Amino acid sequence: MRRLFYLIREAWVNMRTNRTTTIVAVLTTAFALACVGIFLLLYVNLRNAAGSLQEDVKVMVYLADRLPSGQVRELERTLKTDRMVDGVLFISKEQALGEFRVQFPSESYLLEGLGENPLPASFVVTLAPSFRSPDAMKAWVERVQTMEGVAKVDYNQEWSSLLAGLIGYIELAAIGVGILLSAAAVTIIGNTTRLALLARQEEIEILRLIGATRTFIRIPYFLEGAVLGACGSALSLGILKFAVELFRQQIQLTGRFSGIEGMISFFPLSVCLALVMAGMGLGFAGSVVSLLRVGDGRA
Amino acid sequence: MDAIIQLIHVSKWHARRAALSDVTVEIEKGEFVLLMGASGAGKSTLLRMLIAEEQPDEGQIFVHGKNVTKLRPSEIPYLRRKVGAVFQDFRLLPKKSVFDNVALPLIVQGASEKDIHRKVTEALRAVDVDHKNDQLPSSLSTGEQQRVCIARSIVNGPVVLLADEPTGNLDPERTREIIELFKLINARGTTVVVATHDPHVLKYVNRRVITLVQGVLLAEHRVGEGVGG
Repeated sequence: MRRLFYLIREAWVNMRTNRTTTIVAVLTTAFALACVGIFLLLYVNLRNAAGSLQEDVKVMVYLADRLPSGQVRELERTLKTDRMVDGVLFISKEQALGEFRVQFPSESYLLEGLGENPLPASFVVTLAPSFRSPDAMKAWVERVQTMEGVAKVDYNQEWSSLLAGLIGYIELAAIGVGILLSAAAVTIIGNTTRLALLARQEEIEILRLIGATRTFIRIPYFLEGAVLGACGSALSLGILKFAVELFRQQIQLTGRFSGIEGMISFFPLSVCLALVMAGMGLGFAGSVVSLLRVGDGRA
Repeated sequence: MDAIIQLIHVSKWHARRAALSDVTVEIEKGEFVLLMGASGAGKSTLLRMLIAEEQPDEGQIFVHGKNVTKLRPSEIPYLRRKVGAVFQDFRLLPKKSVFDNVALPLIVQGASEKDIHRKVTEALRAVDVDHKNDQLPSSLSTGEQQRVCIARSIVNGPVVLLADEPTGNLDPERTREIIELFKLINARGTTVVVATHDPHVLKYVNRRVITLVQGVLLAEHRVGEGVGG
């Protein structure tokens, strides 16, 4: 018990003795991790947005003109039993005309001169969530296009692909920036540990001479690194939370993009905890790197 | 009697100069040995080798049945727990109290709170500084600091106690007290090896003396018995 207390107290003394270095390390780590957090937040929010947009992506299956009702029902049954399909809504020629008149009242005269209703009957198909990727949608559309009685299949492919591409780029940027700035955090904490090691060289020497194992000597420095990393990570989350709230408030105040503030979300608690743990891991890694660099002879 | 320390044809070079040259010596369990010699004679090198701080370039060293030259790095701390060390500059942690300094070897070994309290109190009492256990080393005299250093070296009951110039910073009266303390520790069964260049120490000791000159074991004798080979 006293041994554990000793190790924790030594880590605390290390941090308190090198107070300025400790504060600088926590702040710089926090800003480095906040930069990574910005990309993660962007990624999480865009994924959420893409998810809700993809829920709205409907595929229009236009039917051939004058298709017998038996064949329409057969086609509806085929679509409903398709494992890639979540929902099917039939819109008759008359319903299509009615909707057109509601949506475009000023242009409804255009159809009156034609005599016969030119709008086709259609199925509005919602695909199952796991098949809403651009590739899966494209494959499904190509398959349905060949079905008998289907005149045309339409969906907003460009928008879907663009969104998926954008998310992909942000994912890559988040990984790249994450690796780069995580390495920076490891270096910052590593240097802090190194300074602490050099400042306490004499004490380490005494510990070695009285029979302390290498692990016993190193544990306070590992603890110090882990605490610095966790503090830096927690502070970065605080900075990000503050920034998100400020952004929401600004949107509300200016009145522009109203409604979007409700769509902006922060990390859930589980992710926050995971990020603090990740910070702790980075800090620990920084200490390990530093101790390896200083070498066995000293610690 | 059993040899607790054995050096067999040990040589060590420091920058092409022989710090120790073909030294062979045995120290029996429970002995009190004075290691005499001028500065640079190789006394400190010999003591450092006994706790695996340095390795010989030639020869073998055995301490308490272990071949020190063949120890793995992970085994060295366990050797050092059996060999107490006292230094000329005391090597106390300045920001820790006397009690905490002495408790350190026990904390390192993972001793229980109860054991730590009992053994530290006993060790401080043995060196007569138990009334200063809350103080910082800087508030003690040099003689008291050396006593604290000795308490730390004996607190975990080592089989061997090595002292490198333990009286180097002390006046003659304090020197006598410290040597008396070593004799007391020795009387309780601990093998004691004191390295010193101070011939005055001989006045207080009637024990075996090993003399080193420029890394060579020149002579072994008992004080008052004359110099032998």
